[in-house]
This record gives sequence, structure tokens and C-alpha cells, in this order.
Amino acid sequence: MANPEVNLLFHQPIADHSFSADRNVLAVTRDNSVELYERQGHGFVLKDELKGHDKVVTSVDIAPKSGKIVTCSQDRNALVWEPSPTGWRPTLVLLRINRAATFVRWSPSEAKFAVGSGARVISVCYFEEENDWWVSKHLKKPIRSTILSLDWHPNSVLLAAGSADAHARVFSAFIKGVDQKPEPSPWGERLPFNTVCGEFLNNSGGWVHDVAFSPSGNALAFTAHDSSVTIVYPSGPDQPPQAIMSVSTHQLPFTTLTWITEEEIVAAGHDCEPFRFRGSIDQGWSSVGALDSSKSRSSSIARESSARDLFKQMDLKGKTVHSATADDIQLKTIHQNTITAIRPYAGDAAQGGVKQISSSGVDGRIVIFPIGGARPTFTH
Amino acid sequence: MAANQNWRLIDVDALDPELQYPAELLSPPFDPVPLSTVQQLSQQCRGLLQRGENAEALRIALQNVPYGADDAGKDLHCTTIVEILGSIKQSEMSTTLNTIYSSSEAGSELLDTLMKYLYKGMAKKDAPQVGSGGASGGMSVLLSWHEKVVEIAGLGSIVRVMTDRRTV
Repeated sequence: MANPEVNLLFHQPIADHSFSADRNVLAVTRDNSVELYERQGHGFVLKDELKGHDKVVTSVDIAPKSGKIVTCSQDRNALVWEPSPTGWRPTLVLLRINRAATFVRWSPSEAKFAVGSGARVISVCYFEEENDWWVSKHLKKPIRSTILSLDWHPNSVLLAAGSADAHARVFSAFIKGVDQKPEPSPWGERLPFNTVCGEFLNNSGGWVHDVAFSPSGNALAFTAHDSSVTIVYPSGPDQPPQAIMSVSTHQLPFTTLTWITEEEIVAAGHDCEPFRFRGSIDQGWSSVGALDSSKSRSSSIARESSARDLFKQMDLKGKTVHSATADDIQLKTIHQNTITAIRPYAGDAAQGGVKQISSSGVDGRIVIFPIGGARPTFTH
Repeated sequence: MAANQNWRLIDVDALDPELQYPAELLSPPFDPVPLSTVQQLSQQCRGLLQRGENAEALRIALQNVPYGADDAGKDLHCTTIVEILGSIKQSEMSTTLNTIYSSSEAGSELLDTLMKYLYKGMAKKDAPQVGSGGASGGMSVLLSWHEKVVEIAGLGSIVRVMTDRRTV
């Protein structure tokens, strides 16, 4: 298996990152701006800086087809950046929120994007040709707290949201005149704007860090602060779901997750390395271990070296106290701090599976992990 | 507003008429459990302890958590569990936990519950009297249990104590 590609961009946290469709341009958030990097050989070179927000940028997304970049920030604004002969030109979007914007994602159709915020609303934004500006409609009920994550269904109508009130919800974000009437799905048939198609909570009810629709859109996964990953299979409108499967893990909580295939998920977070989950509605879901296989797993058990071990090391191997502590400064994982976002990098989850994922962390690193042996091993 | 007021402590949400936190959002509803039920359970566990079935006593106590009980009931159940924990020898801790962990699908959840009681036990001002060392002895028993639970159920079990709204 190929080794992960590690890029240390700077020594500041990266809240979110996004690659262009050809994977040559990388956008990362850094304080109040977004930096655009271009791939050169094995590394990335800083090409441009998008300055327009006056508070911390919380999320960034590059539309794969149009190449437009959308950013949102704690200054309560979202900006859409379009290339022009004089550089990137920002357009302000009227979000009408009174708290920080926390998360932004383009819909697969790229005609809309959704912005989550601390104002307990999701702003669904679309472009109005007549007035030549971006307007927003609010998804409001029944959100009780800050929206921490969003994910679009492949049909660009349904929107999943993870919230600090411990619920993962599925809404309809249907905009008349922008969207085509969607095909019926297990989430529902008639879907006017702000239809709540599902509201889910797991047993211990930690706040929901991230949500994601499966490649087919027929299942929803979310990860909460109780170190769990929960997968929901809906059965139909106004009916309880077919199955809700929750995997409680031994790890620290996961902050981000992505589907690799219809039967495999990768999640990462405070343990600084990605973990893999496999399962299906018939087999149930379970954790199948870490993705970051380059390090020796046994070391994590001996991570907390006691004073006795320390003296033993000095006695047997002549290690000084100084060199012994130097080993402790570095984590055994590639990322040296919490992973904030993972995204598919190569391959398509709907067709043959994701082959590589990219991750960004609080340590300022962008890592591209290969997904080896992504095929589920159990028989059908 | 006074100039010396700490504006970071102002509850801005209190000024928002639209903001409402329904009670069930903060603590999920449970059927009330009368104190007598908790007392019965406590006696059942004591009976098991006298017959030497300590592991079984622990499992039963962890399976029947009175989430709906009042404070007195919850405190009594905590005392029961701490008593059971104190009666299990240090050398048998890991085997007991492993049996509970692998006994059923919900084994990991039982250890999460145990973790809640370990923290509750440690949080009590009048530390429970277990073992021979009095108050401090009780604390060290809980600490060694804590270590063993983390070995088996991982750091996730500690995080779940903090996030879980089903408080004990």
C-alpha cells in the first residue's frame, strides 16, 4: 500500500479544506482568510489569498464543475468567489443571521449552497438572476442549537444537518424555480421547503459533529461527541426508520466522517488518525481499526510510560531523561493534532469506491491517505 | 449596564423570545422509579454478595439503573454499586470486567454505566466507606476500577460519561 502524502502547510489550525475537481488547487482556511495552493510536484505552493472576511473563516468549499469558491466566517457572512481577469472577485451573500456562520457546502447541482450557523438556522442560498444577487431562505424548525455540519443528498434537494442539540436531521431544501422535482426516495415523496424528513438521536446523545449521506443517499451516517458513529436506514415518509445502528468506540470523539462505499465509512477526529467502519443493514456495523497503518499499533498501549519504565530505559539502554522525553513530544500518528475535516480525494463513493481521502488538521497539515483494500471482506 | 460588568457572562440567549429548550432535550424523560424498588435491588445485590456471586451482583446492579429515581434513590444505587466494587478483589477486577464486557451486545454500554458511577462515587464529598482504608481507601478502589475500565472500554467511555444525558 502506498504511503500517505503529508503536507505541512503552516503551524496554524486548518478548520476546513477543499480541492478543485482536477485536484491541482487546494483551498485551506487560515485565520481570517482562505489560502489557495497549487500542486507543484510533490508539494503545494501558495498562489493566492482570498481576503474578505474580518473574522475567522470556518468553512470553505470549491464547486467541482463551476470552480466557484464559497467561504463562510464567524463575521456572519458568506462570500462566493469567482475568477475574473483581475483575480478572485467576492460576492457577498445575504445570510440574515445574527451569529457566526459555521459550515458551508455547495449542493451537487451547484445551483445552491447551504450555510449552517449559531443562530439556529440553516441559510439555503441561491442566485437570483433578476436582481443579480445571492438570496437565502431559512430552514428554522425544529433546530434548537448551533448547526455544526451539513451534507447534501445526491438529488440536491435533501439536506442533512448535525446540530449541537444532539440531533441529526434531514430537511427538504427545495427551491421553486431552481430545483427539479426530486425522484421519490425513502426520505419522502412530497418535499416542500422545510419538510423535516427525519430527526435522529442516539442513546447517549452527544452533540453531532458531522453528518453524511451514503453514496446512494438512502442511508445517513452521523458522528457525535460520545465517540460513536450512527448509521440510519430510513423506511419511508412518516415512518420510523428501518434501522438505527450505533457503534460506540474506544476512541476519543470523531469530528468528521465520509463514506468510502455504500458499506464503508472513514471517521477521524480527536484521536488524530482516521478509523474505518464497515457494515450494512443486514450485517450491522462495526469498527475495523485505524487507517493510518504506518505506525506500530502496540506503541499506543505503552504510550504512558511510568517513572519505572523511564529508569529502566536509562539503565538498560543508556537513554537519558532528555532523549526519553523527546520521544513523547511527537504523537505516533501522522497528524499531530485533531483532524478537522476529511474529504474524498480520488475515486467515487458511488462508483467503485473512494481510493484516497484528504484530511486537514489543527496541526496545519494536509494529508492524503490511500484507502487500501476498500472492498468489504464479508460475504453476501 | 455597569461598566465593570463582565459582558462575557451575560446570558444573551435569555433575551431571545424564540429560544426555548424543551425539558426533554436536556434530560430525556424516564418513568419514575420509587425508592422501594431501588432498596429491593440493593438487598438483592447484598444477598448475591453474601453468597459470593460478586460479579453477578455487579452485572445486575448495572443492568437496572434507576434513571427515573429521585436523588435519594440514585444515591442509594450509587452506594450499592460502590459497595459491590469494594467487595471484589483487586486481582479479580479485570476478569470481572471482561466477563461483563463480552457477556452480551450491551456489554460495552454496561461499562459506560459503571464509569458513570465511578465518577459519581469520586465526586461525593463524604467518600464512600469501602475497604479497610476508610475514605481514602474507597477513593483508591474507585481509581483502580477506573484504570481497569479504561483498559477495556477505552477513552471513549470517559467521553460518554460527560456527554450522556441519562445521569445517574
